Amino acid sequence: MIQYASIILFVFGLYGLLTNRNVIKMIISLNIMEVGLFIFIISIGFNYDGVAPIITSNGAGLIYVDPLPQALVLTAIVIGVGTTALALSIAKSIYKKYGTFDLDEMEGER
Amino acid sequence: MSIILLIAVPLLAAFISIIFKKIATYLLVAVGIFNLVVLFIAPMGVITIGGFTPPIGISLLFDTYSQFSLVLINALIIIIALLNCKSFNKYSGILLLAMASLNGLLLTNDLFNLFVFLEIAGIAAYLITTSNKKPLKTFHYLILGAVGSSLFLFGVVILYSMFGTLNMVDMIIKINNTNNYDQLILPFTLMFIGLGVEAKLLPFNSWVKGVLGKSNTLSGPMIASVYAAAMSFVLGRYITNLFMFEGNLLLVVTVLLSLGILIGEAMAFQSTKARKILLFSSVAQASIIALLFVNGVVIWAVYYIIAAALSKLVLFLVINKATKEVGNDNLDNLQGLFSNNILVGLTFTLATLSVMGMPLLVGFVIKLNFLTQLAAASQIWLVVIILVASVVEGIYFVRMLVKLWYKGKEQINVKYHISFKIVFVLVAAVLLVLGTYKAPLDNYDSTIDTVSQEVINNG
Repeated sequence: MIQYASIILFVFGLYGLLTNRNVIKMIISLNIMEVGLFIFIISIGFNYDGVAPIITSNGAGLIYVDPLPQALVLTAIVIGVGTTALALSIAKSIYKKYGTFDLDEMEGER
Repeated sequence: MSIILLIAVPLLAAFISIIFKKIATYLLVAVGIFNLVVLFIAPMGVITIGGFTPPIGISLLFDTYSQFSLVLINALIIIIALLNCKSFNKYSGILLLAMASLNGLLLTNDLFNLFVFLEIAGIAAYLITTSNKKPLKTFHYLILGAVGSSLFLFGVVILYSMFGTLNMVDMIIKINNTNNYDQLILPFTLMFIGLGVEAKLLPFNSWVKGVLGKSNTLSGPMIASVYAAAMSFVLGRYITNLFMFEGNLLLVVTVLLSLGILIGEAMAFQSTKARKILLFSSVAQASIIALLFVNGVVIWAVYYIIAAALSKLVLFLVINKATKEVGNDNLDNLQGLFSNNILVGLTFTLATLSVMGMPLLVGFVIKLNFLTQLAAASQIWLVVIILVASVVEGIYFVRMLVKLWYKGKEQINVKYHISFKIVFVLVAAVLLVLGTYKAPLDNYDSTIDTVSQEVINNG
């Protein structure tokens, strides 16, 4: 169920990216898409009855959640933040040059 | 010395270069030379990190295939940095970051690690393209690159959920054991699209026109030569060992790549701007390289990547320098460029003829050999498509050369620094020598890529 929700979120982000003509909205859409992907990554290691993957003396027989996707998603989030920061700084340069964030408005000036 | 230094040292130097801006260029060159030395003394094989035996933990794979690619990439970055040390000295830190990430891309044996390096290489590439002063084009590139990387990660995660490993060799062993290709079509398609965006494959390459069409002496060679070569090597490794396309997916990929060749050459043919001709020619070349890997022609694809990277370095440097001084890159405005620059004109002509595949140049030897291998594999349609593309390529390149050699109404005078001329002559000499004396090319075969050997050893 969580995986379906994450894929829907991913598709929403992709749809926003394809239909929006505003630079900032495109960056937000990219982030929504990435969040969908992050939830998908987390969901593949998730277990309804699972516990935190910490080895204890009486831990035999317990079901753990997979910790690897959690580690992966942390790295992916950091990279996503880096890309977003760069995208926003480029958006600032675009605004400085064209005086607008709207792609249609700057169409003639390109 | 461990090969891990190829990633760690440039990354450390990138941080240092932010603090000591004045020495950044020297640092870049010193690190590049250090990398080249390490490449010849480091032991080959699988290198484990942190003491975790594969498939646990991250490991690197250093073989002749990665050695070829790393020598090319590091040498090209040093050359480009030296040629641009005055005009783009602020970009040294970014070039160090690009060096670290591209080295990582070519060395890593871990799929998630590959995604991380893909993103860092992407960030460095977006920053390099900001030197074009076309923020909208850079933004377009960033969006496409970010979507491509996300799709690649999606594919990797699906594979992880299926096989429980991220180690490339271990993944291949587990895939071979399942013997069910149908369930792999989705993750492989997603990963191929992700790599295809950076490798300039049609139809994922709409960013190329905006970025390379407005490039300069830094961004042009870096994206068209260094990044294109690195991404082709990575794509080649994964097409040959992991994807191993078959069935309907093989048909779709072959058709897409064939269209990429034909459309790329057709777009170059109808262009009247020098940079557009070169960039569309690069798009077609990227598709040819991927097609060769799909058909298992590994060694000639590797030589083709190296020859294309060297030729495109010269072509983009000559045209971008002229464009900067003339003001635009219309062929009519660049008419007679070589009438005052005989040496530059000769080296440009040799590089162009090599790309076209003319005899006496290395491009001919490579094309002849891979076409022979494709014909031997009964891929006659692919041979026909590449030959047709070569004819079209020949027409537009000869048309361009005629324009650039013959004087127009207005005399244009572009001054090339001696350092540029030395690079042009060296590259032209390599293309000419390997075209006439091909014995060094016969020393290697498809076994330079040792992934399949690792699979046998560990399987």
